[in-house]
Amino acid sequence: MQSNKLGWILLAPTLVILFFFGVLPFIYVVYVSFHSWNPFAANPDMVFNWADNFRRIVFDEEFLNSVGVTVMFVFFAVLSELIVGYFLAQAFMKEFPGKAIFRTIHTLPLIMAPIIVGSVWKLMTTPSIGIIPHYLDEWFGISMNIGTSAPTAFATIVLMDVWHWTPLVTLTLIAALVSLPPDPFEQAQIDGANKRQIFWHITLPMIAPAVVATVFIRLMDALRTVDEVWMLTGGGPGSATRFVGVHIFKEVFPKTNYGYGSTISVIVLYLTIVACWLLYVTMLAPRTKKKG
Amino acid sequence: MANVTIDNVVKRYGSVQVMHGVNVDIEDGEFVVLVGPSGCGKSTLLRMLAGLEEISAGAISIGDRVVNDIPPKERDIAMVFQSYALYPHKTVADNIGFPLKMAKRPKAEIDEKVDKAAAVLDLTPYLARYPKELSGGQRQRVAMGRAIVRDPQVFLFDEPLSNLDAKLRVTMRVEIKELHQRLGTTIVYVTHDQIEAMTMADKIVVMRDGRVEQIGSPLDLYDNPNNVFVAGFIGSPSMNFVHGMVGMKDGQKRFVSDGGTVLPLPETDAQEGQQVIYGIRPEHITVGDGGVPMNVVVVEPTGSETQIFAKSSGDLIDALVKDRIFARPGSEIGFVIDPVNVHLFDRKTEERI
Repeated sequence: MQSNKLGWILLAPTLVILFFFGVLPFIYVVYVSFHSWNPFAANPDMVFNWADNFRRIVFDEEFLNSVGVTVMFVFFAVLSELIVGYFLAQAFMKEFPGKAIFRTIHTLPLIMAPIIVGSVWKLMTTPSIGIIPHYLDEWFGISMNIGTSAPTAFATIVLMDVWHWTPLVTLTLIAALVSLPPDPFEQAQIDGANKRQIFWHITLPMIAPAVVATVFIRLMDALRTVDEVWMLTGGGPGSATRFVGVHIFKEVFPKTNYGYGSTISVIVLYLTIVACWLLYVTMLAPRTKKKG
Repeated sequence: MANVTIDNVVKRYGSVQVMHGVNVDIEDGEFVVLVGPSGCGKSTLLRMLAGLEEISAGAISIGDRVVNDIPPKERDIAMVFQSYALYPHKTVADNIGFPLKMAKRPKAEIDEKVDKAAAVLDLTPYLARYPKELSGGQRQRVAMGRAIVRDPQVFLFDEPLSNLDAKLRVTMRVEIKELHQRLGTTIVYVTHDQIEAMTMADKIVVMRDGRVEQIGSPLDLYDNPNNVFVAGFIGSPSMNFVHGMVGMKDGQKRFVSDGGTVLPLPETDAQEGQQVIYGIRPEHITVGDGGVPMNVVVVEPTGSETQIFAKSSGDLIDALVKDRIFARPGSEIGFVIDPVNVHLFDRKTEERI
């Protein structure tokens, strides 16, 4: 009992902070989401309007479009990060000259704030001053303008996310690969498996828990990407890169639609939970169920 | 099935040479045990046979094919690791069937062979389980099952029984030997346990520091060890060694230890005054009248036999006798040594005389 009490005392500061900065605002957002509230509208008061906001959201084409763009972004970005991250992790498992320096440089993007990453990429991609459009034009004769071409803007943002977050995937995969016992791999060689078979039958199943955990983290992060995109494209051109995060931001701040913005937040949170649950059920649950 | 030839094989890690020209000929269907203390190179040699380590010089052939540059998967060998190396995410059936699946055999054939192997190894009730749900002995058998479904040319065993408890080890020893008798496939087996080597092998290869010390049948090594190392390594409890020289007494050659103990000698080419090491196995000493007088230090009764440690002029000699002997420490006892069982080694080279 004594140690139990001590445990709660030690936990108390965290719980208090979590309650005031996590639970309370969340409850408040849910509360606001059932109201119509725009302080700069004709009626600045908060008016309870049942589930009107939720009804509106189902038919809100801008919102549905932003969900679609976000899902595409998450799919391409996370998949590319996994593939590139896996190959980098495999490369870092081998010894080569300059490995330590290269590994340090490779993790640098991780310590940069997203807003800075956004600024750097903005500088690099702005037509006429950016290094990327300059050399694309000089070497290949391709003119690149993320301000006018929707696919280019989308691809650039995916690329920026890959650049920013692949090191995280690499690090977790290195940790997973290092912890694998060597014997099953030698055994598989003797059992007649080639490199491709070893990857699909031995390596991937053995690092699957780490891969799924990484996908969880990246999925949740990618779904709420705002600042980098806001900096680089501002959601444009048109609505090509208007991810849900950006959409909520635009709804809440320039438009000051606090009620409707809260509703979108709640729905996005719900969708995120559903996506993670689906991922868990399809990738991890069958394994644990069979084993149990 | 195939014979295996290890011809003057050398292994270097950078500038460090760890194996110095090893030669072993293994006949088709033979059960060969590589034995030696830790670090003697026996596991490295096995891994070179498997293709998991490169061969720095020399050649290894399986059948009539030199396999130096052939990858493990094309060598047609099966290996059982000390850790069993089971695939943790696959069921017992999938583990056993894995080599066949990699060889793209039809599903029906895989199922049939897996069922057959499981029946042989008493694993049928466990086919749907995962490795972590099995006991050590069962995991060991799954690893063996995975080896036998392939019907390889050679089986390689790397200390497969080291992780099992003493009782299970004896059972598995019998099972592996039985398996060899039934399949007749060539087996190369690595162990540091000389009892495993003695009980299972057709031929034992004793190794030390990357060299082969002696090759022979178990009884051959027991009766005629080439040097002090083999004599001390083979046999349990290990042979007594007494340092001294050859002397003369009553017109006959006798051994006189550095401490002055006089022990009987067989017919020998050793010259009077030659410095030698005198070896006698504990089980070749009997207790009786007219023996070498010794002072009892410790008596260890085990029920079926009694081990007596006794001293004479500073030389400690250990005897293992079938009788129950009740001697008090400090009392005098006679050790009778039949000269026929005595081994003499040169003191400098430690080679047999």
